[in-house]
Amino acid sequence: MSTTVTEIVAPARPGTLKILLREPAAAVSLTLVVLVILAALLAPWLAPYDPFDTDLMAVMQPPDGKYLLGTDGQGRDMLSRMLFGLRVTLAMGALSLGIGGVIGVAMGFAAAYYRRIDGLLMRLADIMLSFPAILFGLAIAAIFGPGVTAVVIALAVATVPLMARIARSTALVVLGQDYIEAARAQGMGDARLIWRHLMPNCASPILVFATLRFGQVILLGSALSFLGLGAQPPIAELGAMAAQGRTFLFFAPHISVIPAVGIFVVVLAFNVLGDALRDALDPRLRI
Amino acid sequence: MNPLLEIQGLRTVFRSANGDIPAVDGVDLSVPRGKTLGIVGESGCGKSMLSLSVMRLVPRPGRVAAGRVLLDGQNLLDLSEAGMRQVRGGQVAMIFQEPMTSLNPVHPIGLQIMEAMRAHDTKASNKELRERGLAALDRVRIPAAARRFDEFPHQLSGGMRQRVMIAMALACKPKLLIADEPTTALDVTVQAQILDLLRDLQMETGMSIILITHDLGVVAEMADEVAVMYAGRVAERGTASEIFASPQHPYTLGLLGSVPRLDEERAELLAIEGAVPPPFALPKGCRFEPRCPFAIAACRNAPPPLEEVAPGHYAACIRAPVEHSLDLAA
Repeated sequence: MSTTVTEIVAPARPGTLKILLREPAAAVSLTLVVLVILAALLAPWLAPYDPFDTDLMAVMQPPDGKYLLGTDGQGRDMLSRMLFGLRVTLAMGALSLGIGGVIGVAMGFAAAYYRRIDGLLMRLADIMLSFPAILFGLAIAAIFGPGVTAVVIALAVATVPLMARIARSTALVVLGQDYIEAARAQGMGDARLIWRHLMPNCASPILVFATLRFGQVILLGSALSFLGLGAQPPIAELGAMAAQGRTFLFFAPHISVIPAVGIFVVVLAFNVLGDALRDALDPRLRI
Repeated sequence: MNPLLEIQGLRTVFRSANGDIPAVDGVDLSVPRGKTLGIVGESGCGKSMLSLSVMRLVPRPGRVAAGRVLLDGQNLLDLSEAGMRQVRGGQVAMIFQEPMTSLNPVHPIGLQIMEAMRAHDTKASNKELRERGLAALDRVRIPAAARRFDEFPHQLSGGMRQRVMIAMALACKPKLLIADEPTTALDVTVQAQILDLLRDLQMETGMSIILITHDLGVVAEMADEVAVMYAGRVAERGTASEIFASPQHPYTLGLLGSVPRLDEERAELLAIEGAVPPPFALPKGCRFEPRCPFAIAACRNAPPPLEEVAPGHYAACIRAPVEHSLDLAA
């Protein structure tokens, strides 16, 4: 006996990138993010001077033809220092987000999947959340000494509980779906189930949160550096550069203002991108 | 020949603040080899929980509290979790009611079929699995299988997705297929196609099927044997022809009376008055007694045992056989 089968083909959906670029703010922020990352990666080739070279004949120069963004209190080229500073700032953010994200997601998935340890893990997350990141950074800096490592540890720890919560709530929704039950009925083991079914379906909310969190982490990292707990001189880091310039704020404002604007632009770009990504990845808004 | 699956005294309960609430309460059933057992009952009668109990996939806080589930003489309830994983999909497969949500939206269907095979075959190369996956799609009569293989679930219609689910379920040649309302979410014409397909595949492979449904038409078409469930218990069971020709339990009578038929003059459909008792407030005696038009005082005393009323035909009703009571009521 044969049966005829009707074919129904859904129209191709526009890709995430296409939807993302529809929104002008999103397109601008994505471009900015890409440019910032490129600038940081290519700093050694883009920078006109060595960021540590001092020119004592041109100290605290305002922006001009020779030094495009002027020079700082030691006569170092601000543009070169900005490029290298961006590197440290972004690396600090990426590292702490990466470490905190992986641990947080693992913790959230474990809590959602093995309900027995759910209460324990989430109370642990609550305890971690009740510590302000700045305070924790102070404590870490007191233990390990100030530096980039201390900032990365502090920010990673501050990111873990937030990530864990997002991952857990997303995973709980996904685990309630029929295809999870169907996969279990096929005899799929836990590891494969998590890898094949849970992870890909949790990816978009986690990605959105990671993008938004990246902006926050950079801001917090810069704040810690500004307080002198992060990058130590002579390392160029945006927060530390802003701090070093604040003594000259009245007669050479560009030394503080340029790194501050840099932080502002980077954080804003990641925040706008995160929001746009959330909209673009929402299947309900996808037509 | 001994039956493929034997369920003995199965009891599945859900833990609550007021003690254990039974969803399946002392069910005995058997599934003959190569045949179809239809399990009928209304929502909440425990038919889905029964099938999940066989698969040992009862969601928390539920658990199988008592009984045995013998597959080829092996009690599935005694197996380790790893052993049970081998049974799931390998020897007993399952298809679900909602083909629209039973496939993972982020993977192409071909990959999902390959995954289902991979769960029971870690040695085969991906190329081999792909070929077997394509053959599986062909077998469930999906046209242009090679093209469909790399498509995503949202590109397929409901009937097609249910075909994919069937292909996945049969990927490892199970001895038993549990189909939990496989056609409920589909259009009537597609329903017929899927049922045809299941029947043909059964002929081809000789597998047994447990068909869970609330649609008596589907049961009449597909089942060799029928079990009618009510409030977590089997009310009546026997061969399909027996059940449809001479139903002995008042609940079965009510179910059959509520189906419109073309071949009979009937002014109105019979409806069973009232609703299923909630599982936390079950009557002490016969669970159907509050709604039963034939109930007598004795029905309230104790749950009636499942007794043979005709060879191979069992009913849990102290008033069975009902022919004479039926005359009285009419």
